[in-house]
Amino acid sequence: MTNYIPTIGIEVHVELKTNTKIFSNALNGYGQMANSLTNVIDLGYPGTLPTVNKEVITLAIKAAKVLNCKIRREIHFDRKNYFYPDNPKNFQITQSRTPIGYDGYVEIEVDGIKKKIEIEEMHIEEDTCKSTHRGDKTLLDFNRAGVPLIEIVTKPCISNSTEAKLYLEKLKELLFYSDISDCKMEEGSMRCDANVSIRKNQAAPFGTKCEIKNIGSISNVGLSIEKEIARQAKLLDNGEHFKEQTRRYDDKLGDTVLMRVKETGNDYRYFPEPDIPYLYITDSMIEEVEKTIGMLPDERRKTYIEKGVSEINANKLVQNKPLSDYFNTLLEEKTDFKIASNLLLGDISAYLNKNEKAITETTLTKERFLDLIAKIEDDTLTSRNLKDILETILEETTSIEDIIKEAKIANITDDNALRTIIQKIIATNEESVLDYKAGHDRAIKFFMGQVMKETKGSANPKLAMDILKEELK
Amino acid sequence: MKQVHNYLDLPLIEINKLLKEKKITPKDLVLESFERIEQNKDLNSFITLNKEEALKKALELESKEVDSLTFGIPIAIKDNIVTKGLRTTAASKMLENFEPIYDADVIKKINDANMIIIGKTNMDEFAMGSSTRTSYFGLARNPWNKNRVPGGSSGGSASAVSSRIIPLSLGSDTGGSIRQPSSFCGIVGLKPTYGRVSRYGLIAFASSLDQIGPMTRNVYENAVLLNVICGKSANDLTSVETKEDFTRLIGKDISGMKIAIPKFYVNDAIDQEIKEKLNAVVELLKSNNCTIDYVDIDYIDKTVPLYQIIAMGEASSNLARYDGIRYGYSYENPKNIEDLYLKSRKIGFGPEVKRRIMIGSYLLSGKNAKEYYDKALKIRDDLRKSFLNTFKNYDLIIGPTNTTTAYELDKGLDDAIKSFLDDILTIPVNMAGLPGMSVPMGFSSEKLPIGLQIIGKPFDEAKMYQLASFIEKELNLNLNPNGGVEND
Amino acid sequence: MEEKLSREEVLHVANLARIEIDEEEIAMYQVKLKQLLNEIEKVNEVKSYDEEMLICPTDNKCELREDIAGEMLAPKEALKNAPRSSGNYFQVPVVIGESGEAGA
Repeated sequence: MTNYIPTIGIEVHVELKTNTKIFSNALNGYGQMANSLTNVIDLGYPGTLPTVNKEVITLAIKAAKVLNCKIRREIHFDRKNYFYPDNPKNFQITQSRTPIGYDGYVEIEVDGIKKKIEIEEMHIEEDTCKSTHRGDKTLLDFNRAGVPLIEIVTKPCISNSTEAKLYLEKLKELLFYSDISDCKMEEGSMRCDANVSIRKNQAAPFGTKCEIKNIGSISNVGLSIEKEIARQAKLLDNGEHFKEQTRRYDDKLGDTVLMRVKETGNDYRYFPEPDIPYLYITDSMIEEVEKTIGMLPDERRKTYIEKGVSEINANKLVQNKPLSDYFNTLLEEKTDFKIASNLLLGDISAYLNKNEKAITETTLTKERFLDLIAKIEDDTLTSRNLKDILETILEETTSIEDIIKEAKIANITDDNALRTIIQKIIATNEESVLDYKAGHDRAIKFFMGQVMKETKGSANPKLAMDILKEELK
Repeated sequence: MKQVHNYLDLPLIEINKLLKEKKITPKDLVLESFERIEQNKDLNSFITLNKEEALKKALELESKEVDSLTFGIPIAIKDNIVTKGLRTTAASKMLENFEPIYDADVIKKINDANMIIIGKTNMDEFAMGSSTRTSYFGLARNPWNKNRVPGGSSGGSASAVSSRIIPLSLGSDTGGSIRQPSSFCGIVGLKPTYGRVSRYGLIAFASSLDQIGPMTRNVYENAVLLNVICGKSANDLTSVETKEDFTRLIGKDISGMKIAIPKFYVNDAIDQEIKEKLNAVVELLKSNNCTIDYVDIDYIDKTVPLYQIIAMGEASSNLARYDGIRYGYSYENPKNIEDLYLKSRKIGFGPEVKRRIMIGSYLLSGKNAKEYYDKALKIRDDLRKSFLNTFKNYDLIIGPTNTTTAYELDKGLDDAIKSFLDDILTIPVNMAGLPGMSVPMGFSSEKLPIGLQIIGKPFDEAKMYQLASFIEKELNLNLNPNGGVEND
Repeated sequence: MEEKLSREEVLHVANLARIEIDEEEIAMYQVKLKQLLNEIEKVNEVKSYDEEMLICPTDNKCELREDIAGEMLAPKEALKNAPRSSGNYFQVPVVIGESGEAGA
């Protein structure tokens, strides 16, 4: 097979996290009873007119900012005219001439080399209704009709499936982090289309483009691009020509499937939406939005690593936004960030998962967390005895100091004191010493138990173990 | 035999006095309205009557204080303005059984003003036409001559007011649909400044041209009704706040007014008789110290192609929603979804509506959008600017409302493809978003009313009423086609 | 010879408009749409002096609505005028293919 150069462009639709729809004040919600989140505007009733949701513009500006786009200051909407049952007015209000954002980029890193995936434009539009096919009928639920979307279109600058996946992961992370969208591909709040063409070499003109529509996951975007490149390469190798077409990725088949051949290009009869006057994006609107943009994922990772967090933990933290947000509240403090990250990602995460709680739902204020870290730093607490009191720490408001006292965890770290106790225990348990020497594991556990019993659980376990092993030699 | 009162021939001020003195009740007015509807059945002014609800409302009002001029007054609503629970058809088979589930903004205002909706008036289908002959519910007639058209598209609203079935009605105007029938029927009709009245609940024909307006027996009552329906609405982004009384300049001295007549408005296409009436008005105004100049307004002669591109383009998109899925006519046994679309729209729409949708779709398709639509929007901007420039030197613009008087019912139907020659004098006003009104300025030799058109700068309706009321008073025409006398 | 649009062009427009037309109408539109286009050519005689477009004759700027929910329709009310429904859903004959936009 000849080695072709692929050219890939990606279009992403994301639903914005707003209370209400873009052009009506009906609720923007998911998973509700069919046709329970609509009003006459969403149903395209005769005589209705659109209004524009402020939060949509705010989130679109925010998206433009985090995607490094330029922001157009004078925007309007356009009508895209086409008949389809999921399109209540049989035109969609979108932006074709004046997309709010343009000329942006998302930076990815492939094998240590940074690359900017260029964004051609991003625009605001309304979502369609949801259709379900049942035998010879199609059922329509207009709850989704009018949910705000932004569409983000890259330039055809993506070279392979790896870049495509990295771009999408990065994009998802950015939008999620900025509270623009919850980016749930499984619920359709993020949807991807990929445009793929191949050519013999850089000098050759672009090949015929095929669009793979509505791919259900980032990994499938990767797979479908690879399959599509292979399919096109095979055709070209055989000297076959093909027409522009729309395809979809079939998960079961593991390949792309033809939906329709694009005959003459769609005739959407775009024209400016007369019911919505020009919208002016002012400096102050942009400044207000900028204030709400927190630290973005890349910066977080970098900062965490600088503070001594391991790269693995830094990534893990960034993948868990609530924990990362919580972690960020510590950044100005003097503390051991490595311990902090270990605690958050370890025992605390386990607790949160088990109890289906968010970190903010626990009683672990920043101050108490700093105390806790200090207790571990100075060996007052070990990870072992932390487990015993973790629930109390996360559920009650008592000071860490008092909880430790209450639990009688006074960590005996005095080598001599502990050694005396241990020598006494060994002297009175000869049978177990023999057991130990015969290689029985249970013996050491028995001794540890005795040590803890004797010290009422306040022995530093690591220290105790070390001394035990020395004394048993 | 019933006693004939003819309360509905009285000016609103006198009706109001009788209501206040409890000599009559709103119910008397409602009953008289329905009697008159019955007497004027041949006019076919109404598509749907609201008798039961109107009487109920009239009874409710009996226990309320008469707090405004419009209190208890019957009104008719053009059938493209949606009324919750009251069938609204836009005179189309497509909406023959359509019962709106919300009220238009203007309907809320009418209800808040304690007015009583008598019924929904006949019109051209989806307001597409200027003779009320494209209605699915049959043509309407002109009260002055029943073999003549009442004009359109708000023909039912015009004939109902003209024949004194009701004193007030609402129409809508996209290219002359209030002013032309007002002129043909000898009443006063105003197309307000674009944005003066909320369009929320007006079944859209061409969104950037449509405007709801009052149609009344006289100028004062027109201003009173505009006071009721105007104002900004959160539902219509193009609507504008109003804080003024439109009657405030009525009766005020007009001397010193500077008035322009576009040369285009006295062109050869206009009936000689109409030009003569205009000249008489010119003399009247001059003798009252007004300045009258004949002026050129750039692009005013190019508005028909602009209208074809913009109005049909917007219409083709606005009417795409009628697809037989959520409401409206739906073909009964479609083979598939495409069949549902094709057949529902073939059968649900009348021929003129289909022609206009076809034209609009064609003019927006392929490269036409770039080639013609964009260009039309640019010229439109220039046209508006050239009107606004004229208003730097003049208070008002006047001219005839129409090129002819009401024509025979059997005259060839207006054809969207032909070129809207009927509307060449009214379309420019919609294109530029200006307020325009028609006020009677006399009768033809055939005893058909002739309208004077008054055009103002944006949001200057009060001054238009000032001039209109002066002309109305000076001409003192008897405008009741049944011969009743009102002005004395 | 009379200038006219091709049959295919007319059928394309009728399909965009989703209006079924018969042979007589096709013939009519072939001629009339072409006439109309000639008529409309007049706009190209105009030398417009600036590039600004008037989308809508208003000086309003687009005001923004606060993101606060208002009243919604009960499903029954939403379906009140629907010619075909099934449970809480609007119903249409089966749709083959995909939405022109935004993915289904």
